[in-house]
Amino acid sequence: MIKQLLFASSLLALGAVTTGCASTAKGVKTSAVNASAPSEKLRANVPDGGVLAVIRYPAIVEASAKDAYHKAYAKRAIGGSTGRGVTNTIETVAVADSTVVKSNYFALSLYKELAAKLPEHSVLLSPHTIKLGPGGELTSEPLTAAEDLPAVVSIDFATYSFPDSKKMMGDVPLTFGDLITPLVTVRTDHRAAAPTQGVLMASKPLVSRAAAEGRETALETIDAMQRGNLDPVIPELDFVSYITNDTPQKVSVQKLETRSDTNATMVLPVEKIRVPTSEMTLLKGASDGRVDPLDDIYTDALSSRIVALINGLDTDKAIMMGKAASVAEFDPSLAALTFVGSDKADYAARAAYAERLLDAQRKYLSVQSLRIFDGIHNGELGAQVRDMISAEHKVLEERRKLARQQNMATMLAIASVAGGIATGAGGSNCRNSQTQAEYNRCVRNQRTRSAASSAMIQAGIFSATEAYSKAQLSQQVGTNYLNSIVPALDQQTTVTVDLLDSNETITAIRYEDLQAKLQTLYSSRQRSLDTVATQCAYLGADGAKRGTWLGVCDGGLANGSGAGVLETGSDVMEYYGYARDGLANGPGLMIRHTPIGSVSYEGSFANGRPDGTVRVSQPGRADQTRNYVSGVDQGASSQKAASPFDGITGGAVN
Amino acid sequence: MLRASLISLWLPALIAFPISVSAQEAATTQELYAMTQGQNVAGQNQDRCITQMAEFPTDDPTARYQFFKLVSDVGYGADSQTTALFNHYGQPAVEAGTPVLSVIEDIANPVLRQAAPEMIVSSMNYLVDFAEACDVYIRGQTESLTAFDASLTNPELNTAIAEDALFLRQILSESLSRLGADTDPSWAGAAMAYSNSLVSQRDAVEFAAFETDIAEIETLFMDDLDGRLARSNDVINSEMDREILGDAITLSDDMNKAAREKAKQERLYRLLRIFGGGG
Repeated sequence: MIKQLLFASSLLALGAVTTGCASTAKGVKTSAVNASAPSEKLRANVPDGGVLAVIRYPAIVEASAKDAYHKAYAKRAIGGSTGRGVTNTIETVAVADSTVVKSNYFALSLYKELAAKLPEHSVLLSPHTIKLGPGGELTSEPLTAAEDLPAVVSIDFATYSFPDSKKMMGDVPLTFGDLITPLVTVRTDHRAAAPTQGVLMASKPLVSRAAAEGRETALETIDAMQRGNLDPVIPELDFVSYITNDTPQKVSVQKLETRSDTNATMVLPVEKIRVPTSEMTLLKGASDGRVDPLDDIYTDALSSRIVALINGLDTDKAIMMGKAASVAEFDPSLAALTFVGSDKADYAARAAYAERLLDAQRKYLSVQSLRIFDGIHNGELGAQVRDMISAEHKVLEERRKLARQQNMATMLAIASVAGGIATGAGGSNCRNSQTQAEYNRCVRNQRTRSAASSAMIQAGIFSATEAYSKAQLSQQVGTNYLNSIVPALDQQTTVTVDLLDSNETITAIRYEDLQAKLQTLYSSRQRSLDTVATQCAYLGADGAKRGTWLGVCDGGLANGSGAGVLETGSDVMEYYGYARDGLANGPGLMIRHTPIGSVSYEGSFANGRPDGTVRVSQPGRADQTRNYVSGVDQGASSQKAASPFDGITGGAVN
Repeated sequence: MLRASLISLWLPALIAFPISVSAQEAATTQELYAMTQGQNVAGQNQDRCITQMAEFPTDDPTARYQFFKLVSDVGYGADSQTTALFNHYGQPAVEAGTPVLSVIEDIANPVLRQAAPEMIVSSMNYLVDFAEACDVYIRGQTESLTAFDASLTNPELNTAIAEDALFLRQILSESLSRLGADTDPSWAGAAMAYSNSLVSQRDAVEFAAFETDIAEIETLFMDDLDGRLARSNDVINSEMDREILGDAITLSDDMNKAAREKAKQERLYRLLRIFGGGG
């Protein structure tokens, strides 16, 4: 009896430790993104020469980078710690590969929703390939030319699953069957949101990596400008930056709102969102891409939030660097003048041609995005992903059923063992019997109780082993699926590669031809500029020659409109606006990057320093309008700060 | 070349169909409304406008549209300052009631341009004045014609007309220059303003031509790209073997079935062991 009790107790303990109360991987019905999602329509126009949004996502992994990717994926898990040895298992590899396949598919849901809310040809897709960089490090690069054009916002989108498949029925993030865990970053150019390094909104684990990428991109463009180039810098995907454990950057954060009014990045929680059963039923029988399991529960609301974020941005400021870089490709003498523009007729005429040329490129690349969407979402590839999601759902439902049975068995085990112990303990000492008959009755009762107690404990032992068995079976079901699905994942990956490669090859060949034709047309049509942009010296406020000016120059010094950069130790400064005799003078935007963060000053400048009314944007605080005299803050100002981007030069000359 | 060809196209057409017909025959509701809005000026000028529009082509909508649009474009950027400038240098003034067609013929006459720049100025003055005074009629005509034939909004045609108008305005600018308007302190400002408006119109016309060219290239390339990508997508998608996924799911189902069977057998074994006294 004692032996049985000990055995039952140890089994229960084992069951509790190994399986616990099994989770049925429920997920949340409503995402935080959906709660009070803004419904405002787009107020901004599509900026001349740019697009409103680019959606970046992991689409393929280069063969040479697969091993590094799988290892990094397993090592840097989101939402918990992985068990030992998950790196090389078939299941972990399958999870890592399916993350790419699913991201590739679900990013198109966001594209569909965003494109429906924004003007035609203003949203582009930028699929990324995960590859090894020059130093053998894992990185990502865009597969198409979509990011060559300036965009007001870029959105990193991925769906994520925890790498340890043994924990998939627990609370860890999962994208499997009817559960989807999106990872998102929404960023703009840092010039439009300097205090947050351009990061407007991001999933919690990605915030500091996105900020680090933003800062790195800012510093690289400044370095390029220092060398006289306006080369665009395209950051790697934040998801890749996370799994490779890039150095994070601190940034002010806040909870999710329509827009931040304190120069902070809004944080999205990592959520396992559950697709309604009705939608999963529709998906099962869907013959084309009209059934989208993600739109109602996430991407519709997310795209509304992105529209609201765009509404809160100065779109011209957000694309000015990208636009200057694009213009520099075919008209270097105009490029740096486009930062703040000019009201001169010759500039206006030439800029109109340049913007129209970029517009043609935008429309052309948009056709490519539409076809990528069509090829993947509405094609056989999309159908197979939908079939795969349905199959996963079946597996998940099976495991949920097993988990419920396991929980029932565990409860039964506890109840049986407890009942058995209670029954067994209820016996009395028959030696105290007064008569033989009393003694015989006592012994009979004791035997009956003992048999009942034993049976209950045996039932408890059985239930405990049953619970353990159900847990094992559930695990086996998951493992079986992940092991079996590998060839299908391989095929999906291969077809995705073929499709994207073919898309890009066809587009690139014709794109080069288009660019050549546009260049010829541009060169033959536009008029000459009276004032051209060149490179000269930009001075610090102390008057020493240290920086580079790209724009209007006179006598080897900045004189007119343009952009200047200056590096002093760890303090890096960039300036866009008007200058005189090498110094910032007139309306301008100055951004200072220090090791602790970035601050922007937009308003009036004189002799290289803020002078007059200036709007100051600092991390974690609302914008303030201050009055400056020779760079010294004199207190709050009720005046409106000048801007170099609104066409009012404040007496400054081009 | 296009400019010359257009002028040479419609001038003979006008001469070939010298009909004096009221321009209001084709008036639309919009036109009538526009006429009502401009009732005072238009009412005062009604007879004059009708007379001046005599000999305009009437049976060819394209030629008729070209003519009205040209006259309208010629008046672009004119203000009281330029009218005063034209009045000063345009001598003698064109006789009231002269058909616009003959005035345009005078401006296009190279001999007259060389010999009598002041007559060119007066002719242009007359034309600009007509464009301003009869604006309601002219606009009504162009709008009703485009409503009748939408192809008249073709950017190429309109660019060509704008270039013709620009050509006439350049003749005027040259004539003013030859008459010394740009060096006369009293009139240099007005002459400069007119020159600038000419430059901005030239920019607009050239940009419109650029826009037309680029739109053609855009359409060509986008259609071509779209077709190619669609075909490529179809080919690649057809390579997709859905059986692979089906097989994977079947394999997974079979393995799960086997696992369930095994679990069932183990369960029976455990049941026997536990309840059969083995435990």
